Formats: sequence, structure tokens, C-alpha cells
Amino acid sequence: MIRLLVLALALYLTAPPAGFAQSLQDVLQTHRDEVLKPGRRSVGIVLDDLVASGLPQALPFLEAWRDREIVQRDSDGLFFRARKQSLYDLDTGEVIGVFEKNNLTASRPNGGVRRAIANALVQFQMSDPDIVKRRAAVDAVARSMDASQLEPLAASIDAEADAALKARKSRLVSMLRALFEDTTNARVEAINTLAGDLSVDVRAVLNKVLASEAGVAAKLPDNENIARVLEVGEDITAENAYAWLVEAELAPPLVSNAQIRDALLTNINSGMVGTLPVAALNTEAARALAYDQLAAEGLAPPRVKEAERANAIAEHVFYLAYTEPDPAITDAAQKALTAIETKVALSQTVDLGLDALSLASIYFLAAIGLAITFGVMGVINMAHGEFIMMGAYTGFVVQQFVPDYTVSIVVALPLAFAITFAAGVLMERLVIRHLYQRPLETLLATFGISIALQQLAKNIFGTQARPLTSPEWLDGALAFNDVIAISYIRIAIFALALMFLALILFVLKRTRLGLEVRAVTQNPGMAASMGINPDRINMLTFGLGSGIAGIAGVAIGLYAKVTSEMGADYIVQSFMTVVVGGVGNVWGTLAGASMIGFLQKGIEWLYPSNTLAAQTYMILFIILFIQFRPKGIVALKGRAAAD
Amino acid sequence: MRKTFLMQNPSVLWFISLLAVFTIAVTLMSEATGVSLISTSFIKTLGKTLCLCLVAIAMDVVWGYCGILSLGHFAFFGIGGYAIGMWLMYARTETIVAQSLASQPIPPTSQEISDAIGNQIFGVVGSSEFPMIWAFADNLFLQLLMVVLVPGLLALVFGWLAFRSRVTGVYLSILTQAMTLALALYLFQNDSGLRGNNGLSGLQNIPGFEDTSQATISIVFFMASALALGAGYVFFAWIVSGKMGSVVKGIRDNEARVRFLGYHVESYKLFIFTTTAVVAAISGALYYPQAGIINPGEIAPIASIYLAVWVAIGGRGRLYGAVIGAAFVSLLSSWFTGGGAPDINLGFYTIQWTDWWLVLLGLSFVAVTLFFPKGIGGLFDYLVRKQP
Amino acid sequence: MSMLLEVNGVSVTFDGFRAINNLSINFAPAELRAIIGPNGAGKTTFMDIVTGKTKPDEGSVVWGEKNISLLGLSESQIARVGIGRKFQKPTVFEAQSVRQNLAMALKTPRGPLAVLMHKKTKKNAERIEAVAEQIGLYDSMTSTAGALSHGQKQWLEIGMLLAQQPRLMLVDEPAAGMTPDEREKTTNILKAAAKTTAVVVVEHDMDFVRRLDCKVTVLHEGAVLAEGSLDYVTSNQTVIDVYLGRAHA
Repeated sequence: MIRLLVLALALYLTAPPAGFAQSLQDVLQTHRDEVLKPGRRSVGIVLDDLVASGLPQALPFLEAWRDREIVQRDSDGLFFRARKQSLYDLDTGEVIGVFEKNNLTASRPNGGVRRAIANALVQFQMSDPDIVKRRAAVDAVARSMDASQLEPLAASIDAEADAALKARKSRLVSMLRALFEDTTNARVEAINTLAGDLSVDVRAVLNKVLASEAGVAAKLPDNENIARVLEVGEDITAENAYAWLVEAELAPPLVSNAQIRDALLTNINSGMVGTLPVAALNTEAARALAYDQLAAEGLAPPRVKEAERANAIAEHVFYLAYTEPDPAITDAAQKALTAIETKVALSQTVDLGLDALSLASIYFLAAIGLAITFGVMGVINMAHGEFIMMGAYTGFVVQQFVPDYTVSIVVALPLAFAITFAAGVLMERLVIRHLYQRPLETLLATFGISIALQQLAKNIFGTQARPLTSPEWLDGALAFNDVIAISYIRIAIFALALMFLALILFVLKRTRLGLEVRAVTQNPGMAASMGINPDRINMLTFGLGSGIAGIAGVAIGLYAKVTSEMGADYIVQSFMTVVVGGVGNVWGTLAGASMIGFLQKGIEWLYPSNTLAAQTYMILFIILFIQFRPKGIVALKGRAAAD
Repeated sequence: MRKTFLMQNPSVLWFISLLAVFTIAVTLMSEATGVSLISTSFIKTLGKTLCLCLVAIAMDVVWGYCGILSLGHFAFFGIGGYAIGMWLMYARTETIVAQSLASQPIPPTSQEISDAIGNQIFGVVGSSEFPMIWAFADNLFLQLLMVVLVPGLLALVFGWLAFRSRVTGVYLSILTQAMTLALALYLFQNDSGLRGNNGLSGLQNIPGFEDTSQATISIVFFMASALALGAGYVFFAWIVSGKMGSVVKGIRDNEARVRFLGYHVESYKLFIFTTTAVVAAISGALYYPQAGIINPGEIAPIASIYLAVWVAIGGRGRLYGAVIGAAFVSLLSSWFTGGGAPDINLGFYTIQWTDWWLVLLGLSFVAVTLFFPKGIGGLFDYLVRKQP
Repeated sequence: MSMLLEVNGVSVTFDGFRAINNLSINFAPAELRAIIGPNGAGKTTFMDIVTGKTKPDEGSVVWGEKNISLLGLSESQIARVGIGRKFQKPTVFEAQSVRQNLAMALKTPRGPLAVLMHKKTKKNAERIEAVAEQIGLYDSMTSTAGALSHGQKQWLEIGMLLAQQPRLMLVDEPAAGMTPDEREKTTNILKAAAKTTAVVVVEHDMDFVRRLDCKVTVLHEGAVLAEGSLDYVTSNQTVIDVYLGRAHA
């Protein structure tokens, strides 16, 4: 019936028929009593007629009615809208007088009626010419998921002009039909159309169909739609199984240690409980003995013995039963859900892969500078993390002066490179140059610089985290479906990492500097005798490595917080990346970064709630990995590898 | 034999004598004897410093003599502290729980006592169950054994893995740092069974000595620390002198050559690594009852690096250098960070040492590495050279 | 006479470069042997293989009367069965005294516990002094090895080799950087040692090899090119072509 009405309404909206010369007041007057004192049943007639009238002013009336703003004039029985001390005509919407409480009677629809009115409103709105209102109406249906909304929603599909909204409506209809359709076949059919949809609400609908309740009985009931039978010890613990029995009143409750204690406490009789002195009640066995005596005297409920408990459990069967009685429907839903979950799992794997990829690019950016200095000069730079921090703070300072975020990032990247390049060259000239051939001491000296720089940053910028805001066009995420999404900022970092990979490969393989760097790496003495100045090469290499750390700092600062300790967070991972990848090789660093990135995401996926555990296990894995490939993934072989 | 050992190493004799004089002097001036020239809190600081000197000696042996720059020895120190802390906390809580349960109308069962202790200790991390690792916490003797066994085994397994695959130099340092980080991260977890980042606390209260004043307890621990330092000094001086010292220093300078002489280098490294780890743990076990609290932050990699800094500043490759470095830097550090050092007013800026001490330390550390690779201990070489 | 060390069909490749190519070479329990050959002939790699530093891709290295394969042993185990090595560049422990260097090399138990509990005995001291006398460093026993001259370091390393009492000595360029007098002395030391021990000398200097007056093996491109007396190999046309010819050019 409602379907017909909505059809009529839809017809009216597309081509308003001229035959209706009725006014809203007329319609209301024919149902005068029902409008004034609407009941849950009687209101239906009024609503049907209102919809059938096809009057546009019915919509504001319904809203007013729902909001309890409709009043009847006692003298002539006409209805008006009362709002802010004024009376409005329902057909024209104009003010026709002031609100006087004495000669007006308010219509007071109760909760049930107001829900019915709201539903009718949805029907109106579903076919509203304004797409914003239609969207809002669809949202409302999606929120409430009520059986009554199925028909108006379904009826509005054909006339829907907007393709996206139409798709959404038909999906919503499928979901509603899966839940509320009358016949098994229709529901199964609707469920089948849902298969393959990854969205959370579809999964919620299917889970609702598949909702189950725990049950326990002496023998598996025939009249229930059994989801599965639970094995005690495997699917359910013995404690829980017995608790179900107690709840179903199929077994007496256990007597807890606390209850035993309370019972003993209330029955102390001149230092004795039963035949036992109080002082002897310091073991559970003694207490049990005393309690059993009380129970024998009827002073306490008897204890459930271990054997009784086991018996009770053994004599019953524990199961989960679907609340939906029709197995055909639950089977179909189960099948659809399994299919969806497989797809979701697949998508999640892809999503995890993307996450890991972006983490790997961050590690690559953080570690590549370190790898260059370590590989070329054999120098461990413990202050590398602080160069990352310097880069990030450079970004922060630039944003204080350049308010436009896009421009500030464009300025910050080269500036960070320049500053950390200079810092690196300075450090090489002042400290590291004097410590070649003493790698352990370089490690310690650069560590000294690291603590000094860290504290310096703390003194200048304070201990609280400083924001580095990304430009607006980097906000948001690229979504492939309901599960796979990657934020633009991570894509940008990935692109940055690729750029640097290409740049470094180019510098090392295609330029004069790269040639000289490789010569110095392989044989400094020979390189020097061929006119290459190793001092200059070392200086430039160190500058380059530090400069890249600065750029990495800006990139990391964009998605993480800028603090004086941020360098320390990345230094160990960066070392791991270099060591795992293999020293002195750009591809090795890439391999190391990928491995650590994917590994970390993988472990985080296994231990979703515990990132600390994930990090712990990752480090342990790396320690073991070094056992099997002490020279890293990409290892140099032969004589070159011997020290 | 002992006589010849001491005769050949006069520095050991000197050190032991100085330590003995220092210990007696401090004891006499403490509150425990009623003289009260030195406050109990300063006695504790001195006792803790002695423990730091002991772990610094261990660090010196493994790094200065054997060439392994371990960035994990402070982790062993921490494990020792945790091991003793577990007993201290358990035993003390047990006493408190026993007192509170004694007033109940019926005596408590062992399960109730255990539950109450568990609740007291682990309530802060939302648990009351005793984890497996607390299995021996109720027994002082077994837990003391744990002080030695746990870090010893950890060092043995880690060292065996690392040395076997011939990881050396900076690689090894990074690997030990990773081990330390993994341990610290593990302890930071609430379900590690060691109260997460709350750590163990109230360790200054020694069970069974509730009526003894902190003044007396502090002096006892001070003397125990001095004794341990003396014993550790003699022990390591004995190890690094003679042929063992020769081989170990040989490994430091040219590992491959020692191998071609027929020595199984890995066994020697493992011996040194494990022995020093155990001594580090023992010093930790003496340190934390004086500190009163231990938490995972103490184990963080930075602490192990500071340990290396002390040894480097003191002068590595000589045991007294490590002692001087640890004592000098840690006392100086608490003087600066504790606000003891006067601020310097430059007119346009006031240098507050609580903020600038780390900058100073970092830079002076760079300076020491660059200009005084022998550290403070190197000064003794000048003195010795000028004398004859 | 059974052989002390038998190297059979050994090959090793570094990154596609065949450093040793199907090399077979044997040594008797007491002989002096010189190995010569141009740079890159595989002399050092051959020593690396025997001492366990490099594992060959194929072939066998068999030691002693019991025919032990050296391929499964570690460097230190190989040293303990009785193979001593002196490196091309003198590697002594510069921070330690001459006496400590020799004491470390002296043939005594090598386990950590034995070393820890090691006591100085008169007998060992005499052995150390005897070796020091032999290499002419008796008067420098207490000075640190780092303070020695280049030639003295060479001798100290030879002395360490002697103190080890190995059954096979691999000596890489012992005469490098020595004065003629020093060479004379080195020759005598090696010749004396060869009476009881197999001594293998790798050397470039033809005069030195001539003075050793022993069997000579010429290596070329990782394989034996010729073997025999010095006069025999120096008259061999192939040897002249690949080695001497170039050396004299």
C-alpha cells in the first residue's frame, strides 16, 4: 500500500497533475480527530491521505507536527502552526495572528506517532527535488535500518536521477531486504547481491543476520538453527562451560573460596568452626573440611565437587544457535560473509603492503645518508639522528616566517639540505678527519656531538613537540576501496625516497664525483696517487650524507612530531637498515629498508595492540639475521670484503 | 704467588690501600658512627658511585683490554638490579601483607597471601598474577643466584651468537646496542611481568631490617660496595695481567694474528664478555638497593653509552682509569644537574648548568677523544715518566 | 716418504676471478721449499687456504700421518695441529713487550682456562730466552715490540713462529726490507729450522732464494708451473716467459 502511495507521490513530483485542487486544511479537516489526538494506528490513515494529496505544504506540516507545533482553534476547528507566539496558515505559510493559549488546543503526538511521522517524512524527503535532502534522508535510513523504510526506499530508486545516490539506494535496499524481506528466497537473493561488497555496513548487516546466542542443553535441540557445537576444552574453557550451566540453571553454582571464607567467618563459635580450631584454617584443604561440616549441618550450600562439575559438563552439549531460524538464510549469509572476508583479508594485505612500503621509504631516507658515510668512509656517525632533527627544526623555523605551507616546504627542503650539509662538513673537518682508522673512537666522538646537539635543541626549542604542518594538498588519503587507503603524505615521502634513490645512483654512477667517491672507497691510497684528493672526497661525502639526513628530517617531521629526541628514535633503525642491507651499497640500503619496513609492519599486524613488543621482536629478528648474513643482504665478496 | 702478583702490579696495591683508607674515613665520618660529618644521602651517593666504578672496570676490561665496545653492559647492570629488586620487593610486600592479614579473624591461606602480594605489586599494571619470572623471588639465595645467572646466560648466548659469526668492530657495537634497546623496550611493556615503566620501587627498605636506621643500612651498603669494588679490581687486575692479559690485548690489537697463533679467539672473547657482564650485574645488584628504585629507563641504550664515556674520559686500558672516569664524571654530573654549580651570567644570557651540562659533557667528550685519547689516566704516565 | 701436507686439485674463485686453479702441491716433514711467482700467481691465497682463512671451492688439503682434512678445521685448530704462519707485513703485538710476544706464541696449552691459570715456569722462560737469542733480540726482551725496527719486527715474527714449534712454517717474504747482513742471518735461521720442520718460503727476491739453496716451486695463475732446483726452473722456457722474462725486462 505504501508503495502505491509513494508511487503516486513520485508521479506527482515528476509531473504535477492538475486534478488536485484540494488544500492541506481540507485534508486535515477530514481527519480532524485523528490530527488532534493521533494514535499509533489511526495516524496511518492521515499520513496516507497526506501523501496521496501530493501537496508540497504537507512536508512543513509533517515537520511541524513531529515538533509538536500544530494547534487547533477551538472556535472553528481549523489547524494552524504555532511558533514563537505567532500563528501560521498551513497552506500559505503566512502569519495570521498571535498565539493565544486560551482558545487553542495543541496536538500532542506521542513517541510512537512521532516515529511514524518521521518515517513519512523520510518518504517525502527520499523523493525531494533537492539532492542534499535526499542524501540526508538516505543517511537517516542507513542509520536506523528499519523494516518500514524498505518500501519507500525501493520505490524511490527508479526516479532517482543521481547515479551515485541511486547505487547507494539500491545497495541500502539490498541490505534492508536481506534483513526484512518476507520470504526466504527473497532474502537469500538479497544476501547474494551483497556478496563482494567490502563496506563495513554490509558486513554489519550480514553479522546481524548471523547473530548467534550461546545455548546449553542435555542434547542438541532440533528446533534451533545451530551455528556450531562447542567442544569443551577447545572452543570453550571448562570454567566458562560450567558458568553457562549455572546461568541456565542446569547446575548448582560453584562455591568460591571467598564464599567459603565468609561462611566460615559467620560460623565461628568460640574459636572453633565445626570441629576445627580457627588457627588451623590456614590452608584451603582445612577450610574445605570445615565448610563441608557446615554444609552437612545445613548452614551453607554444599560444595560442588570436581567430579560433579565434570559430570555436569559431560552430560550437556554446548552450542551457538543463530537467532535467525531459517538455515537457508544463515547459510547464504555465512557464504557471503566468508567471500567478503576473504576479499577484505586480501585488501588488508595490500593495505599493509602499502603501509610497509611507506615505512620502508622513511627508513630508506633516514638511513641512506648514514649508509653513504659508513660505506665510503667506514665512519659511524652517531649524530646522524641529530642531523635528521636539525632538518625537521629547520622546517619548523621556516614555517614561522613563511606562512604558506606549500612555499615553506619548498623553501625548507633545500635549506635543510644546506644547513645539515654545512654541519656535516664542519663536523668532518673538526672531528672526524682526525679519527680515521679509529672507527670505535669516531663512534664515541660523534656520540658526544649527538648529546650536545640534542641538549642544544632542547635549550633552544624547549622539550615540547613542535608542529611541522603539511600543505593542504597533502591532507587526505588515496582510497582504492573501503579497506585500501594510503595518505598523500606517505605517497609524497615514497616519491621523495624514489627521487633520492635515483639521485644518489646518478651521482655515484654517472658523475665525476661519484667516480672519485667509488675510487676512494675501494682504495684510498691508489686514488690519492691518481690525483684524487681523498680529503675533499671525504668532506663532500660526509656533507652529502648529512644533507640527505636534513631532507629526511623535513619529511619525517611532516608526519611525526618534531622533538629534540626524534633523532634518537630513528638512529637505531637506521643502523639496522644499513647493517642488514650490507655496507657500501645503495641497493643494500634499499633492501635493508624494505626488509625492516615490511618486517615491522608484519609484526605490528601480528601484535596489533603492542607496538613495544613489535619493536622488541624486530630487533631480536635482526640480531638473528646478522648471524646468518653477517655482511648484510647485499654483501661484497672476495678480497674486497676482507676488512 | 699472590705476593708476586701484587708486587708486579703496584698500582693494585696502591688502589686497594687508597680504597681502604677512603672507606674507613667515610665510615668514621658518617651518621652511623654519630660523627655526622657526611649526610646519609651523600653516603648513598658515594656507595652508588663505587658501584658505578665497578661496572666501569668491567667495561674497561671488555673494551679497553679486549677491544669489544659493548653498548650493553649497563643493561647487565640493570638486570642485576632487577633481579635483586624482585626479592626486595617481594619480601617487603610479604611482610606488609602478613601484618595486614594477621588481624583477620581466620588465618590466611598461602594462596590468599600470594594473591595479596601479587595485588600489591602488580596492581599498578592492572594485574595480580605472578609471572613466571618471579618464581624464585621469594627465596633470597635463589634470587641472588639469578643476579649472576640471568645476565651471565644472556651474555653467553648473545656473545656466542655474535662472536661465532665474527661480528666485530662497529657492527658488534651496534648489535649490542640493539640488544640493549630490545631489552629496554621489553621492560617498558606492562605485561613484561616487571611492572612496565613503573619499575621496582621501595628497594631501599631491606626486609628483616625494618628497625635498622637508613644511616646504618647506607653505611653497610657503602662498605659492601667498597669491598666489591676492591675484589673486582683485584680480580680483573689478575685476569688482565699475565698471559690471559697478553692474549686478550692481542685480540684487541690483531684478532686474526691471535687466531693464527692457535688461540680460539671466540672462547676468549666470550669469557671476557660473560665475566664482565656478571660483574656488571653484581654492581647493579649493589647499586639499586641504594638508589631505591629501578625502571626500564635506566637500561636504555644511552646509559651504556655513558658508561663508555666514563671509561674513555678516565682512560681506557688501565683499570684505575675506569674508576677515576666513573667517579669523576658521575659525581660531576650530579653536581651540575643537581644545581650545585653556580650559574654563569653573561649579561645577555645566563648559562644554567642544569640545561647546559650535557652540552658541556658532549663537547668535552669530543675533546677528550681528539686530544687526550688516554684520558685522565694518561696524566699518571707523565708523573711516572718525570719521576726517575 | 709420506708427505706432511698434501694439497690436491684445489680451486678458489673470487667474484669470477680464479685465484687458485686446480693447484696440487706436497711438502715433506722436513724440507725447505721456496715458492716464487709473479704478482697474482696465488701465493698468498695458497697460504690462506692452508691456514684456513679462505675455504676453497673444491679440492682437498690433507695433513700429517693421520691424514686429517684441514678444510673442516678453523684457523686456530689448524694452528694447533702444527702449522705456523708469518705474514707478508710483519704483524706483531706492538703494544706488548718482546717477551710477551714470544710467550704468547710459545707452545703451551691454548684453552682459556689453561691460559688463565698459566704459571710462569723456569723451563718456559729458558725456551723464550733461547728463541730470543736465536733471533738476536735477547737484549730487547723488555722493550715493546712497537719500538723495534722493521727488520727486528720481521725477526720477532720469525721468532714467534719458532716458539710455536710448528711442523710446517709458512713464511711470507721474510727478507723484505732487510739489509744484506740481516738476510744472511734470516737465511741461517730458516735453514736451521728446516732440519726438523717443513719450511715454506714465499719470496720475490731471487738472490735470497738462491741463498736458501732448496727446491723451488713456481706458481702461475693459481697453478704449479714448474718445480725443481732453482737452476732447473730458471732455465725452463715457460718460466722465463711468464715470470723471469717480465721481471728482467
